[in-house]
Amino acid sequence: MASARYAFRDGWRLVVRHWGLSLLTIFTAMAVFYVIGASTLFVMNVRHIVSKLEDQLTIQAYVKPGVDLDALAKKISALEEVRDTKVITKELALERLRTRLGNQVEAVSLLGENPLPPSIEVRVDKASQVSNTALKIDVMDDVDDVVFAGPVAEKLSKVSNFAGQFSVVLLVVAFLASGVVLFNTIRISVYSREEEINVMVMVGATSTYVAMPFVIQGFLLGFAGALLAFLFVGGTYFSAIVKLKDMLPFLTFIESPQLLYKLGFMLVCCGATVSLIASLLAVEKFIKNAMEPL
Amino acid sequence: MDLQLSGVTKIFEPDIVALEDVYLQIESGEFVYLVGETGSGKTTLMRCVTREVVPTRGHISVGGYMLRKIKRYDLALFRRDIGVIFQDFALLPNLTALENVKFVLEIMGLSPKETTERASEELKNVGLWRRRDMYPPQLSGGEQQRLAIARAIVNTPALLLADEPTGNLDPSTADEIMQLLLSINAAGTTILMATHNPHFVDTYRHRVIEIHRGRVVRDEEKGRFDANGLC
Repeated sequence: MASARYAFRDGWRLVVRHWGLSLLTIFTAMAVFYVIGASTLFVMNVRHIVSKLEDQLTIQAYVKPGVDLDALAKKISALEEVRDTKVITKELALERLRTRLGNQVEAVSLLGENPLPPSIEVRVDKASQVSNTALKIDVMDDVDDVVFAGPVAEKLSKVSNFAGQFSVVLLVVAFLASGVVLFNTIRISVYSREEEINVMVMVGATSTYVAMPFVIQGFLLGFAGALLAFLFVGGTYFSAIVKLKDMLPFLTFIESPQLLYKLGFMLVCCGATVSLIASLLAVEKFIKNAMEPL
Repeated sequence: MDLQLSGVTKIFEPDIVALEDVYLQIESGEFVYLVGETGSGKTTLMRCVTREVVPTRGHISVGGYMLRKIKRYDLALFRRDIGVIFQDFALLPNLTALENVKFVLEIMGLSPKETTERASEELKNVGLWRRRDMYPPQLSGGEQQRLAIARAIVNTPALLLADEPTGNLDPSTADEIMQLLLSINAAGTTILMATHNPHFVDTYRHRVIEIHRGRVVRDEEKGRFDANGLC
């Protein structure tokens, strides 16, 4: 218990003693974690938008005359990637056309007998599955023709994949960057206390006892950096969303405050974990050498 | 705490023989002077006893601890049982006099109350209580040496290793330090003191071990500094 108290007290002292370095480290960690937080939100929003657009992506399968629509819909539903199907009868197709025409609905009467073919509207799980599914449906005997937004689906799929890959690369780079900064700060602290550590080891300090203040110093810096980053991300996100909604009213963004709390929790956990690992690595070898006899 | 060295040899790279075939037996409660010219191996011998240095050959046993095979954690516990007064004091400049003494007790896991009480008492014993809030650079050489002694004895060690504890001190201060060490020994602590001071060795007669070029060349009860008794 006394050792834990000592470790926290001394860890705090290290932060205060090297206050310039501590501020620099906190600032750098904050910048790195801000990038992590902002890019995470960016990627989440891209995926949210893509998922909304994917919901609107459909395959229209036009059927040959006289085909049992329900039976065909059932057959299409059996495909693995199909989320749902909807039977569009000739009547429903005409109804939709009327709705779409609005005040020009009179034009429908010029068509005479309803010329619109029945079809089955198919939704898939992901945009990337649209083309393949369309091909599978197209080769079915009862299907006359298939219409789908192939290029749009592929682009959406690419955007979604790129966002995912981008976030992974960014996370790895940001983690490494914050780890290196924290590692160097702790290393400098360790070397500044080289003499002290040697004396501590000589009077019977265990390696854990010597290492703990440095680990706590690193933890405090990483934690503070991540916490500040979260506050800044939270502060800027909602105002950015308001502006984006004005500029891009056709897009929907994530606005749940709970998402931010989760992101904050993730950032602080990441900050603490990265700083703990970096501190342990920075201090471990030095203490091992200090304890090693000649 | 007794101390035993059996055939201890230390060769530093490439081939500097610091100690050669040293056999020693020091009983609990003894006061032993370690004499010899500079570079004879006194400090290496002490560093072998604290296990800062591992002998190339031979074994060292201190109070039941076999130092060659001691594990890292046990080494820390062993070092809590001994006190070391370093030649250069090795005080921590960023800590006050009181904190310098307290941190040895903190390492042992004592409560803050007990730590403060014992450290304060030790500072009073060495006459530094009024200097408790000063930092080592603000203390005189003699005061720093007394502080180093306070730190070395605050954990009531069974063995105290003092490497030139009166070196660089004026005669009056050196004598104060010597009196302090004698009183610590009188309380039962085994003391091994490396010194170049013939006055103390000849005035306060105890066992004298002389080292020359890494070998024990004299081991004498109530001996004198010089083998021929000329000093």
